[in-house]
Amino acid sequence: MIWVAILGAAIATLLTRSVPFVVALPIRPPAVASRYLEALPVAIIAALIGPAVVLPEGSLTHGAEPLAAVLVIATVVWRRTLLAGVLVGVVGVAFLRML
Amino acid sequence: MIDEEERRVSRLAFGEGWPVLGTSLLVGTTFGVVARQAGLLPVEIIGMSLLVFAGASQFAMVQLLSESAPVPIVIASVLFINLRHLLMATSLRPRFEGLSRTRRVLAAFFLTDESFAMATRHFRRGGRGLAYYLTFAVALFAVWNVATITGVVVGGSVGDPRRLGVDFAITATFIGIVVLAVRRPAHVVVAITAAAISGALALLGAPTIAVITAGLVAPLIAVFARR
Repeated sequence: MIWVAILGAAIATLLTRSVPFVVALPIRPPAVASRYLEALPVAIIAALIGPAVVLPEGSLTHGAEPLAAVLVIATVVWRRTLLAGVLVGVVGVAFLRML
Repeated sequence: MIDEEERRVSRLAFGEGWPVLGTSLLVGTTFGVVARQAGLLPVEIIGMSLLVFAGASQFAMVQLLSESAPVPIVIASVLFINLRHLLMATSLRPRFEGLSRTRRVLAAFFLTDESFAMATRHFRRGGRGLAYYLTFAVALFAVWNVATITGVVVGGSVGDPRRLGVDFAITATFIGIVVLAVRRPAHVVVAITAAAISGALALLGAPTIAVITAGLVAPLIAVFARR
């Protein structure tokens, strides 16, 4: 089943990349559609954060994950690098879970 | 046929692109580590980087697969994350008119946020031809896959992921991607709303549809926002 997901995702991704190269779209996308499409990846990835923070591993958080999430946001806003955020998040959550 | 000008442009692509390639090396290694920690097999993880080749989508797939989300939900999530490529490809299309259809699809396979940004900058300053885009885009593919393999090897040797906090790496990666991807004030509201809706739906016992529902509803805020 994992390979069905991988191949399906590969085809879906290639379609989004190649369709405008192969088929001439009759009109430019309207501004409303552009605004929706620009916000879509931010929304889907943010939507992955919600459950992971309130229900880590399927059970209600004791507070370590939400606090660590705030630390990660602060770090990435400050340093503007993904890696610093990941390091602070991993070390932060391990520390907070010990409390 | 590679002439002197194309060689010069290819060197320029490396000269200007190496900070982006370096970042991808680190992110790709992180991907390999967290995917391995989430229990995916090395061949599945490497296959993902070779065939899908899309950073945020691959992290999302690992998260959803580790929660045993249904396959159609996984594929639909990836499709929605990547719909933005339609806008990028539409903008680049005039530059690729000269290529055969097969070559256009091949060039499109390597289209990423990073290669789009590099190519757009090159074309805006008057650059011509596709050597700059292709050099950078294929180099990024190579770096991403080498990094994935490195991460898979490292990830297999890390101990208990939960005790060490490594299970949180993927969530931290999503948070970082969102913070760095926010381009307008409305996107901050979109991100917070999406996380709140999906978190609430998961708490209410609907984790399967939580991500996709929240992800499709929240962007409406950006449509109706004044700026």
